[in-house]
Amino acid sequence: MRSALLVVVMILAGCGSAPAEQHNSTDVMFLQMSLEYIAQGDRVAEPSAQRAGDARVRVLTAELHEQWARESTQMRGWLGDWKQPVEADPDTGVHAGHGDLHSLRASDIAELTAAKGDDFDRTAVNMLLGHLHNVVQVARMEATGGRDPRAKALAEAMTATRQEQIRRLLTLQAAATMGS
Amino acid sequence: MRRRITLPLLSIAAVTASLFVAVVPASAHGYISSPPSRQANCASGAVANCGDIVYEPQSVEAPKGSKQCNGGGSRFTVLNDTSKNWPVATVGQSVTFNWVLTARHSTTTWEYFIGNTLLASFNDGGAQPGATKSHTVSMGGFSGRQTVLARWNIADTVNAFYACVDLNIGGGGTTTPPTTTPPTTPPTTTPPTTTPPPASGTWAAGTAYVPGSLVTYGGLSYRCRQAHTALAGWEPPNVPALWERV
Repeated sequence: MRSALLVVVMILAGCGSAPAEQHNSTDVMFLQMSLEYIAQGDRVAEPSAQRAGDARVRVLTAELHEQWARESTQMRGWLGDWKQPVEADPDTGVHAGHGDLHSLRASDIAELTAAKGDDFDRTAVNMLLGHLHNVVQVARMEATGGRDPRAKALAEAMTATRQEQIRRLLTLQAAATMGS
Repeated sequence: MRRRITLPLLSIAAVTASLFVAVVPASAHGYISSPPSRQANCASGAVANCGDIVYEPQSVEAPKGSKQCNGGGSRFTVLNDTSKNWPVATVGQSVTFNWVLTARHSTTTWEYFIGNTLLASFNDGGAQPGATKSHTVSMGGFSGRQTVLARWNIADTVNAFYACVDLNIGGGGTTTPPTTTPPTTPPTTTPPTTTPPPASGTWAAGTAYVPGSLVTYGGLSYRCRQAHTALAGWEPPNVPALWERV
């Protein structure tokens, strides 16, 4: 099933591509989904950079915000070059078929906003971890299934950076609740 | 001309989108971040050579009812490996388990076991969890070195998600953790963008380190693995992600 679809995709790509086109549909999906994930992640990172009690959480979320701004500029640029929309068709994008399960919902952000003190940090760190794992899944999909060398390189860099941030968040989390 | 190119590409995107949706969700759901589960200790780098689990600690999914740390089956068997030196968290009789969720499946129950003893079961009655999930569980008089098995039972599939947490359970009632209030570092909102030359000498908070920087801390030498600005709490022995012993 999957390989049959891939063949269809390749045939279509062969018909539709100008000679200079070096990207495939995975590249497009990766960029569109990553832009959506960056927008969602910023809704956690921005309040965390301001409100977290732990300076390490503030620094890490400020760092994420800055990296995401840089990454999204590149992503938008490539989608523009390829004449692709920056948002996936709502019927086929992140939300399709999976009922938003992997997305941060407005109610999640509300939960974070309402949390106070240690609860705020704990909620922020665990939400960010979940979010970053989803981000890494999409980047790893691109690294194996993408075609455009720049997008693949970005996906690999994102995987390495996000994994390192996950390691730091988990280390914080382990230390914070040791013994509680 | 352009228009003729765009349309087929869009339909390709649509095809792949459905392909993608069909493939990816098999791999993302949840695990316990603290006290750290075995997969969390793999993903944090506290335990080395865990394999692919470092990319998806949330994916320990298997049919319901297993008592194994990997849920049975052939994936992620490293989690069952008792010869690994799993870090052990020191806790009291009351332990709060925090979950990281990457997909918010509707849930029947969350169960916690030591051996065959069910310590607690939380019934969500098919509801979707919120952004995160925490449960406070009594250790039921168990003490010393124990492994808690947690099972997150999904309402609309045959599967559960598994996490094992290694604990050293003390006696008494509530344990007050040594308050690890972070030192009052002034809020640094933007890390410096300049890259100073590899620093050396004694590790110091506030210093910007780049990969390769060598420092000493506590009489030992460390090499920086990842550019960062040092903060109290990120001392080299505490953050293997940032520093390696040399």
